Amino acid sequence: MITSFIPILAVDVLGSVAMVVIALLSLYKARRLREMDPDNAVFLYLLWISVGFMIFALSRSLGHILRQFLILSSNAETWHAISSYTGSVNTVSFMLVGLVTLFFKQSWNINEKIHSSRKKLENTHIKLMDLNQTLEQKVIERTERLTSSEHKCRRIFEQSLDTIIVTDYEFKVLEINPAGIALTGYPRDEMIIKKMSVGSFFADPSEWDKITNKIALKEYILNEEAEFLRPDNESLLVLITGSVDYGAFGCAKSYHFIIKNVSEKRQMERQIAQADKLAALGELSAGVAHEINNPLGIILGYTQLLLKEEPEHKDDLKIIEKHVQNCKTVVSDLLSFSRKGSSKMGIVDINKVVDGVVNFLSNHSDFRNIEMTLNPHTGDRLNILGNEQELGQVIVNLLINACHAVEGKGKIGIATHKTVQDKILIMVKDNGKGVEKKNLSRIFDPFFTTKPVGQGTGLGLSVGYGIIKRHQGDISVKSSEEKGTVFTISLPADRTKT
Amino acid sequence: MVLALATAGLVFLPLNVYATQLHASSEGIITHQIGHLFFLFSMVALIFTITDKGLDRQKGWRLIQYSAFFFILWNLDAITAHFFDNQIHAVKIENISFGKMRIITNNDSSLLAWFYYVLKLDHLLCVPAMLFLYKGLSNLVEDQKQIMAKKDT
Repeated sequence: MITSFIPILAVDVLGSVAMVVIALLSLYKARRLREMDPDNAVFLYLLWISVGFMIFALSRSLGHILRQFLILSSNAETWHAISSYTGSVNTVSFMLVGLVTLFFKQSWNINEKIHSSRKKLENTHIKLMDLNQTLEQKVIERTERLTSSEHKCRRIFEQSLDTIIVTDYEFKVLEINPAGIALTGYPRDEMIIKKMSVGSFFADPSEWDKITNKIALKEYILNEEAEFLRPDNESLLVLITGSVDYGAFGCAKSYHFIIKNVSEKRQMERQIAQADKLAALGELSAGVAHEINNPLGIILGYTQLLLKEEPEHKDDLKIIEKHVQNCKTVVSDLLSFSRKGSSKMGIVDINKVVDGVVNFLSNHSDFRNIEMTLNPHTGDRLNILGNEQELGQVIVNLLINACHAVEGKGKIGIATHKTVQDKILIMVKDNGKGVEKKNLSRIFDPFFTTKPVGQGTGLGLSVGYGIIKRHQGDISVKSSEEKGTVFTISLPADRTKT
Repeated sequence: MVLALATAGLVFLPLNVYATQLHASSEGIITHQIGHLFFLFSMVALIFTITDKGLDRQKGWRLIQYSAFFFILWNLDAITAHFFDNQIHAVKIENISFGKMRIITNNDSSLLAWFYYVLKLDHLLCVPAMLFLYKGLSNLVEDQKQIMAKKDT
């Protein structure tokens, strides 16, 4: 059959060119897809298949165009020589396309798995973000609570009026609050940098040993009473509560102490007890003195009547009279100690009273070797409402006691002072042997004396105490053994202007 | 037993063997035809895989399915043409002059000659196939753009 070759030629050449152009465009599109989502395995497959088609289109189209050219130019032999090569390249190219296509399912499955994993990963990421946000929120909340708690604890520590001390396992001070610094009297740096032990605050080291033993045994102590000695030698009575802290989060073992200063409270309690005791003794003394005073008056009266008649036993009667007189003096003192508001009161200038007493006693032989110093209050007059004789008696008594304390040789200082609270103070100070600690609480008791028998009745201070109490005042004593004693009388100033 | 006899035969009755096998020239066309068949089969597999995975809901993949269908047709065309001219040599073309050619068939069948003439216009199948592939890829690019735009918003 003879037919036109033109349609075949036209379709072959144009088709080949179109194949190459479209294959290149397809490759471009496939590349775009791949760039848009590099992790998509299906797009990778499409890129591969487009590459395969492009190779196929190029080899086939170029082969076809070459064939048409060679045949038309009467070089059919040349075409026959190279046709097997172009045919082989064609075979390889569409085999490649086929091979790639057969992996499409696998590519899709891989892609599905990647998508599913990515989805899971995204969900997990969202959950993690949520958790992270929740965690951050919780951390912020906890930090705020912790800061608030720390602030509260710090305020309690700083503002506490009781001493709070934190120590290491060897009881060396790590932290101490301002109240503690005031109580102990040591600078903060000295305590912390020099690592002072709590034991060094104690007046008696054996007390600290007892406390450490108790802590070792029970791991805590509760309201243990002890005496602290400050650097200025002032002693304080304290109550100590403490416990061990084994620490948390790797903190070392430490001890916490809370120390309460009870010196003033104890002193107050002692004064109240003393006042109660002396009040009871006063009642008793008044009763006894009253009952004894009348018989003594009768005995003294009859004895003196007998002595007027010049009796046979005159010497014996004199002895009776003397001892009855002594008894009367004691009874009088007792009545004076317990008397309540019966003496005559008036305006008394304390400086005048003290001056008179000092002048009177400085001429006495017992005070010859004593250096008496008078330091009166200057300025306004120290007037009080009281009985001048009784107050003079009290001061005389205190000075005589001071004279005995210095054993006739030493220094006695008398000072007067008016406080801003309108209290008038009279201080009698000596540098004698002092009063033993155990006797301090008893020195105002009637008949209590440390003097040898016959040298004192033990009524001087108790009578003085009674007089001062009647004047709405107070009398106190401070004494250090071998250093001296200070008696302080406090009386309310008279507020009426003269 | 059979294995033992075969082994014994090889040992006791030896024959000449040739280490490198000689290839006839027809192997080339057979390989080419197998290549076409493989290509055809892979395109069939692609069509079914796209349907199986539900990808045909997307226009781009549907166009790729059409492309695969046209490639199947093209492969059938090519296999048939190669069968007639290269395998059984039933058809032969001679150029008479520029623009004229003679199709010589074994039995002078004009029907076969016309059929072969149509088969030779195979670009009418493979160009649309490539065009569908390009259109399919273009659609997928557009879809991907939209997906990315949605993600961004």
